[in-house]
Amino acid sequence: MNKPPQEEKSTGHIYDGIEELDHPVPKWFQAMFFATVLFGIAYFLYYSLGEGESIDQEYHRIIHAERLAQFERVAKTGGPKVPSGEEFQAFLKDAEKTKLGAVTYQAKCISCHGSQGQGGIGPNLTDEYWLHGGSMSQIYGTIANGVADKGMPPWALMVTHEEVIALTVYVKSLAGTHPPNAKAPQGEKVSN
Amino acid sequence: MSDSNKSFSYDDDIVKKFLIATLLWGAVALLLGVFVASQLANWKLNLGLPWTTFGRLRPLHTNAAIFAFAGNGVFAAIYYSSQRLLKTRMWSDRLSRIHFWGWQAVIVSAALTLPLGITVGKEYAELEWPIAWTINALWVIFGVNYFKTLQVRRERHIYVAVWFYIATIVTVAVLHVLNTIQIPVSFWKSYPVYSGVQDALVQWWYGHNAVAFVLTTPFLGLMYYFLPKAAEKPVYSYRLSIIHFWSLVFIYIWAGPHHLLYTALPEWAQTLGMVFSVMLLAPSWGGMINGLLTLRGAWDRVRQDPVLKFFVAGLTFYGMATFEGPLLSIKSVSALGHYTDWIIGHVHGGALGWNGFMIFGMTYWLVPRLWKSNLYSRKMANVHFWFGFLGTVLYMVSMWVAGITQGLMWRAIDANGRLVYPDFVETVMRIVPLYWVRALGGALYLLGFVLLLVNVYKTVKRAPKSEKSEVQNAVTLARVPLASLGHTPHRILEGLPGAFSVLTLAAILVGTFFEIAPTFFSAEFAPAVPNLKPYTGLQLHGRDIYVREGCYNCHSQMIRPLIGETKRYGEYSRAEESIYDRPFQWGSKRTGPDLARVGGKYPDLWHYRHMADPREVVPGSLMPSYPWLLKDKTDFGIISRKLAVMKSLGVPYTDDDVRTAEGEARRDAKEIADKLVAEGASTSHQLEEREIVALIAYLQRLGSDFRKGLIK
Repeated sequence: MNKPPQEEKSTGHIYDGIEELDHPVPKWFQAMFFATVLFGIAYFLYYSLGEGESIDQEYHRIIHAERLAQFERVAKTGGPKVPSGEEFQAFLKDAEKTKLGAVTYQAKCISCHGSQGQGGIGPNLTDEYWLHGGSMSQIYGTIANGVADKGMPPWALMVTHEEVIALTVYVKSLAGTHPPNAKAPQGEKVSN
Repeated sequence: MSDSNKSFSYDDDIVKKFLIATLLWGAVALLLGVFVASQLANWKLNLGLPWTTFGRLRPLHTNAAIFAFAGNGVFAAIYYSSQRLLKTRMWSDRLSRIHFWGWQAVIVSAALTLPLGITVGKEYAELEWPIAWTINALWVIFGVNYFKTLQVRRERHIYVAVWFYIATIVTVAVLHVLNTIQIPVSFWKSYPVYSGVQDALVQWWYGHNAVAFVLTTPFLGLMYYFLPKAAEKPVYSYRLSIIHFWSLVFIYIWAGPHHLLYTALPEWAQTLGMVFSVMLLAPSWGGMINGLLTLRGAWDRVRQDPVLKFFVAGLTFYGMATFEGPLLSIKSVSALGHYTDWIIGHVHGGALGWNGFMIFGMTYWLVPRLWKSNLYSRKMANVHFWFGFLGTVLYMVSMWVAGITQGLMWRAIDANGRLVYPDFVETVMRIVPLYWVRALGGALYLLGFVLLLVNVYKTVKRAPKSEKSEVQNAVTLARVPLASLGHTPHRILEGLPGAFSVLTLAAILVGTFFEIAPTFFSAEFAPAVPNLKPYTGLQLHGRDIYVREGCYNCHSQMIRPLIGETKRYGEYSRAEESIYDRPFQWGSKRTGPDLARVGGKYPDLWHYRHMADPREVVPGSLMPSYPWLLKDKTDFGIISRKLAVMKSLGVPYTDDDVRTAEGEARRDAKEIADKLVAEGASTSHQLEEREIVALIAYLQRLGSDFRKGLIK
C-alpha cells in the first residue's frame, strides 16, 4: 500500500506494509546531540570533579553577602531599636497608625489570640495577666522576637518595624475590653 | 523447522478488550482529574469525607491516568501492532487474557484501596504490596507471552515499534520490582526496605522512568506503527530510528535525580541527573522529527483527517514537553520551578497533549478497522480535536503562569532582607483564579473525550453483527546463518530479538548501576548519627497517618539551600534527618508550605484546631478539613508490630522498645492529650485515644532533632 516516490532511497525493509526509507540523520539533529553531550560532560567534570562552586558553597556565599548587607544597613540607620515611650505616644495620636495596628492584628494575630484579643491558642490579651511582661517595651519585644517554645513567631522577620510598633500600641489598647469567651488568665498580674 | 505456509488469524478480540478498557478508565481518570483540580480551586469540594479528600484522590487520578488509561492504551497498541509486525498471533491467548483481566483487577483494587488511604506513600507507586506484587507477576506473564510471540514470529526482522515495546517490557519489570521491595506489617501496610535519601533516589529513578517507559517508549512504538499506517507513507529515516532508540533508552534511565535537585541527595548524583536530562533533548526529538517527516507529502490530509491531526499535535506536544523537561532540569530553573504548578503544567502537556492525543488518534483509526465499520462522524472527531487542543493549552498556560508567579513570590525578598510574602497562604490565594482556569481546561478536554465515546459507540453499533477473523498466510521462518540476516551489525541484531532484548537490558542497567549501587555502599546516602533516636511508637504511627492522608501530595519535607527558602522555613534539610523515614516524604509539590521544620513552630493546640478546620487558624487556606482525625481511634495494638518490622530493617530499636511500644505510645498520647485539654482543646471524650494526638506527636517531631543540635 505504501509506494515511495521513485527518487527516495528505500532500505527495502517493509513490515506489515510500512516501508523504511534510508534518509540520513539530519545534520542539525546530530549537532544538537553532540552539543548537549559535550555540555553534559563538561558540566559534570567542572562541577563534580573540578573547580565548580557546589550548591552548598553557593548558598553560603549568598548568605554571607546578605549578612554583610544587613550589617551595613544597620550601621547606616542604626537599625530598629525598641522605641521610646514618646514614640509610642506619637503612634497613639496618629489615627492612621492606630488603624494600621488594628488591620495588622486582624491579618496576623486573630488565629491564635482571637478577633478581639480574647485568646485561644495563645493567651488572652485583654486581661491584666502577662506571661512575658505587660509594659510597652516588653510587649514590643515579645511581638518582635517571638517566643520560640510557645509557638509565637518572631514577627520582626515578617512585618515592618512600624507594624510591630502599631501592633504593640493596639494590643496595649485592648486592656480591659472584656470580650466574650475570654480565655482564663495566664502569667503574672501586672498593675499599671 | 521447514518452510511451510501457515494459515492463522490475529487475536483482535484482546485488542478490543484493551481498547474498551482504555476508554472506560480514560473517562474515570479525566473525571477524577477535573474533580481534584476543582478541589484546589474550592476546598469545599473535598466534601468533608475521608475518601474524597484531595490527598487520597490525587494518587487515584495519577494512577488511573498512567496505568489505567495510558497503560491499557499501550497494551491495545502493542497487541494490535505486534501481531501484524511479527506476522503471528500472540503466543498464548490464555496469557493474553490473564494479562487483561489481571490488569483490570489491579485497577479496580487501586480504585478501592487508594480512597481508603491504603498507600505506600510514594508517587505513582502508591499501591500496597499485595497489589504491587500482583503487578510484578502480571508483568512477567505479559513478558513471557511477548517474548514467546517474538520466538514464533514469521517476520525475519523486528521493526522499530517492536524495539520500543521490548524496551518497555524489560525496563518496567526492572523498575517496578526494585521499587516495590517492601516488608509487610499487615495485609494492607508495608514499609520500604529503603529509607531517606536512598528511598528518594530509588523512587525518582522509578518515577521518572515510569514516564520514560510507560508514557514514552511504548507511545513511540505506537507512533511508529499507527502514524505511517494512517498516513500511508513510509517512515522517514531508518538510521534516525536506530540512533534515537538507543540513545533514548541508554540516557533516560539516568535522568531521575533531576526530581531531587537542591535536596539532600549527594550533589554528584544531582549533577548526573541534570546533565543526562539535557542530553535527552535530541534523542527525544529524534522520535518527533522522524514522525513529522514521515508526513511529508501528506500535510494536505492532516487538515481533514482527525487521526493525523491528533498524531501531528501529539508529536508537537511531545516535542514541547521534551524541550521543557531538560529546561526544568537545569539547576537554576529547577530552583524556581520545582514544587510549583509549573511541573504540573509540564506533565499535563505530556499526558494530555502527547499520551492522550496519540491514544485518540489510534482509537479513531483502529475502531472502524477492528469492528469493520465506518467512523460514525468525522466532524465530531474534528470537534473533539479542538476541544482537546484548547483544553490542553488552557491547562498548560494557566499552570505556567501559576507556577512562575508563585515561585517568584516565594523567593521575593525586600531591601531589608525580609520575605515580601511571609504568609504562605498569600501566595496560594494569588493563584486560585488560575486553578479555575485549569479546571476549565480539564473540563473542555473531558468534554472532547465524551464526543470520542459517543463516536466510538455509534461506530461499533452500526458494525455488521457477524465478524469473522480474516485468515492470514505467512511462511514459517527457517533457521538461517547469522551473516544472511543483514549487511550491517544492527540489521543482524534486528533478526535476533533475544540478543536485542539483552542489549536493551544492558543499556538500562548501566545508568541504574551507577546511580543505585552507590546508595548501598556509600555513607553519603545514609549517614550514621550516633545520638539520633528513631521515631517513638506514637510518632511512627502518626507518620503513617500522615502517609495515609496523602499529605505528601501538597506538602514537602525538604528545605533547599536557597535563601528565600531558609528565610521562610529555617535551615536547609540534611540527609541525616531522613534516615528513619520509610518511605521518605520529601514530596514534589508545595500546595501548602514545607513541613520539614514544622515541629515546635506551633503549639499542639494550633495543630488540633488546624486539622479540625484549617481556616480557623489560617484564613484563606484551601486545605481540606480532617474532622475524622478528632474522632477516629488510634490502633495502638499494631504499634509493636510496626517497631518490630522497622527493627528488622535495621532501625535501632531494642527488643525492650518493641515489647513496651504500645504502653509507651499510650503514655505519650495521654501526655499530649492532657496538655491539649489544659491549653483549651474542646474536651472530646478520651482525647488520648484519637488519631489527631498521634499525628501531632509526629508533626512536632519534624525538624526537632536539628533544633536540638543532634544534627549539624
